Amino acid sequence: MRGAGRTLAKVASPAWFSGKIASMGVADQLQIDVRHGAGRVILSLAGELDMASAEVLQQAIDAEGLSGETMVVLDLQQLQFVDSTGLRVILVALERCRDRGQGFAITPGSQQVQRLLSVTGVADHLPTIAVADEVLA
Amino acid sequence: MAEQALPASDIAVELLVEAGLVLSSSLEPATTMQQVARLTVPRLADLCVIDLLDEDGTIREVAVAASDPEVAQALEALRRRHLLDPDGEHPVARVIRSGEAELREEMTSMLLRSFAQGSEHARFMIEHRYRSAAVAPLLARGRTLGALSVLRLGESEPYQAADLDLARELARRAAMAIDNARLFAQVSSVERRLEAILVNLAEAITLTDERGHMLFANQAAADLLGAASPLELTSAQPGTTMPRFVVQDEHGRELGLEEMPSRRLFAGERPEPLLVRNIVRATGEERWLIARSSPVLDPDSGRILYAVNVFENITQVKRVQVAESFMAEASRMLASSMDYAETLQRIARLAVPQIADWCAVDVLGESGEIERVAVHHADPAKVALAERLDSGYHPTLDDPVGVPEVIRSGRARIYTDIDADALAAYARDDAHLELLQAIGATAVIIVPLAAPARTLGAITLVSSESGRRLSHADLDLAVRLGRRAGTAVESARLYTERTRIASMLEAALLPGSLPEIPGAEIECLYHAAGELNDVGGDFYDVLAYGDGRWLLVIGDVCGKGPRAAAVTALARHTLRTAAMLGQTPTGMLRTLHEALRRQPVGADLCTVCLVTLEPLSTHARLTVTLAGHPPPLLIDTDGECRPVGEPGTLLGVLDPVDVHEVDVELQAGQTLLLYTDGLPEAGRAVPQRDEQRRFELRAASAQPTLAGMLERLEHAALRRAHGKLRDDIALLAVRLAQTGTGAASPRRAA
Repeated sequence: MRGAGRTLAKVASPAWFSGKIASMGVADQLQIDVRHGAGRVILSLAGELDMASAEVLQQAIDAEGLSGETMVVLDLQQLQFVDSTGLRVILVALERCRDRGQGFAITPGSQQVQRLLSVTGVADHLPTIAVADEVLA
Repeated sequence: MAEQALPASDIAVELLVEAGLVLSSSLEPATTMQQVARLTVPRLADLCVIDLLDEDGTIREVAVAASDPEVAQALEALRRRHLLDPDGEHPVARVIRSGEAELREEMTSMLLRSFAQGSEHARFMIEHRYRSAAVAPLLARGRTLGALSVLRLGESEPYQAADLDLARELARRAAMAIDNARLFAQVSSVERRLEAILVNLAEAITLTDERGHMLFANQAAADLLGAASPLELTSAQPGTTMPRFVVQDEHGRELGLEEMPSRRLFAGERPEPLLVRNIVRATGEERWLIARSSPVLDPDSGRILYAVNVFENITQVKRVQVAESFMAEASRMLASSMDYAETLQRIARLAVPQIADWCAVDVLGESGEIERVAVHHADPAKVALAERLDSGYHPTLDDPVGVPEVIRSGRARIYTDIDADALAAYARDDAHLELLQAIGATAVIIVPLAAPARTLGAITLVSSESGRRLSHADLDLAVRLGRRAGTAVESARLYTERTRIASMLEAALLPGSLPEIPGAEIECLYHAAGELNDVGGDFYDVLAYGDGRWLLVIGDVCGKGPRAAAVTALARHTLRTAAMLGQTPTGMLRTLHEALRRQPVGADLCTVCLVTLEPLSTHARLTVTLAGHPPPLLIDTDGECRPVGEPGTLLGVLDPVDVHEVDVELQAGQTLLLYTDGLPEAGRAVPQRDEQRRFELRAASAQPTLAGMLERLEHAALRRAHGKLRDDIALLAVRLAQTGTGAASPRRAA
């Protein structure tokens, strides 16, 4: 279900961030695309989620007033790489959604992403959907 | 003709003698000609006219004498109105043209009319009864300057050949006098022009001869060379001027007289312009000059007669250039090294001798003591003096004056004109005074080594044997240097301090040495990815665990910096404690998980791999338990490897934590490699392929020693990452000895 969406500027142009981005120099590393629709908010990630860009994702999750939505989806289909710092942001988001009674799901990422999720034993904790718009079974 | 006439020859002699006197008495042609003309009347003539030839060929009357002054005046006026035609038939014109004297014994009216310049002239000559004329050319050095005419009027005796001779002789002497006067005037005028030019030039110009006599100096030269006037210079003995100055090249080497361009010119060379550093001994003033010399040659022999020396004063420009290049070089030195003690020594060397004769740097130590880190002088023997001074009379922070005062106040000081009294007042005792005198400071600058927040020490600049006066321009330069050096030193200190702290922390996080496990070889390797100051999140340990068993631990805390370091310490020590308490691997991991969950703020993630090892007779029994950590690799003797263990939940965030203890056997010669994910992830841009990793492992395990294998793996990872690791690499490996009990292998300390 596609709702009236609005695409946020890519991380490179900090419309809703302060100068923090410039100081982290993550202009091309991580792109975050946010869509709202049908009671869920979908954050589509592309690029690399690591120590340098994790903060950016954290801010995106904090900033978007996600608390109002029924479900938060992290679409990792275009995510090439994630490290433990990035994983932490994802897990913290999972916890918060649980605390708030919100749904949380991810879509599968690249091979490296999936391997990390598997090695760290979190795959079972993270509800996974095939496609961001899909309704959870 | 009423009087008794003297014999003609006596008159002639008399006339010539008097003329001689008149002509030598003055250099003014106008005056002398008039006097000569008057001499001839009435002894030789009734009327005498002297004409001179102008530059443009005009015949101009310059003197007229007559018995009757009115006649003289009238003729003067007439001649002025009617100039003689140089090409005409007037005897004066003819004589001037030919250079030959002419005698007109009797002149008829018709003759007079024939060469008169107009009717008025003719009437005059006829009226005054011009009768006889002798006209002689004024000849000097082969040139006709004019003519001398003597005339008899009316009833006077006509002229004869002897009279013409006399007129010729008179004319010759008059001509010589005129010529000399003209030459003299010319020379004077040229001299005056030259003088006017030279005097007013800003450049100092001197003229010297082979023996060093200064024949000419302009005012600028007098000013430059410290003389009251040019005359003082030109009357000085050769060789007495130069000793008034310290004369050096730009490297501080003293220059000898024979190296000056003027001297070299006379030695037959063609000297280049010479850059000279010139310090006035009396005042200490420093000037930079460019000295150039050109020869004045004898036109006939080509020999050098004089040297023309020009001194261009470029002090301002040079000073600025010296100061700027010094600051640029000093800044470069400060930026290039973290070893600030060494850098300060290099800067002290740089400052000597261009900025000062001495340079010293003192630094304030942690407990308030003042430590000398650098001192330099061109002469090493003098440096030894300074060291004796420093050790014998070492400054303390509460000294009223000097380096301590500058450090306390943070203010720069300049002391000029240090004399014997000043030294005596400053010296603490006779030995001290002696040392101070030996150093011979005449001026001192002390500036703070200024970091943004505090003063770290001081830089001292001293002028001694060069006698160079230190000015406020020097003080400004020194202050700038003090600030730059201070900032650099502070940065270096902070960096070194952080490195020290980081090292201390790391020591707490990694074991100093690994215990020996009988029958097995243990090696470890740690490579930090970031700067020395970024304490890593990796940790590992090898502990005794129960009876005859060992526990190998490797873990990775998410993040870097002080927070991650604290969590790493917590992880390591929690596991050690849990192991000591005899908990199972699962229990230990759950304990750590609980400890992490209880941390006050935020989520501290941690992955851990625990391997218990029990050496048996032929092999070793292992259990592998993973909590979110990559599985260790079992490497066979042929280099083939496989991961062992089952994935488990990482610690610190998710509940419940699910881990599994998996049993593995380690055969003789086999290796178990524990690692953190910095290893496989190195060079992330090119995705790590299992194939490549297997290849690397195979190659590495071909190394004869375990330590060698780990090194090979490290190098491979670095190569993949093109030297820039994004994450730390920690490796812990255990290899079961091939035969019986393994000997202890060299431990790789953290």
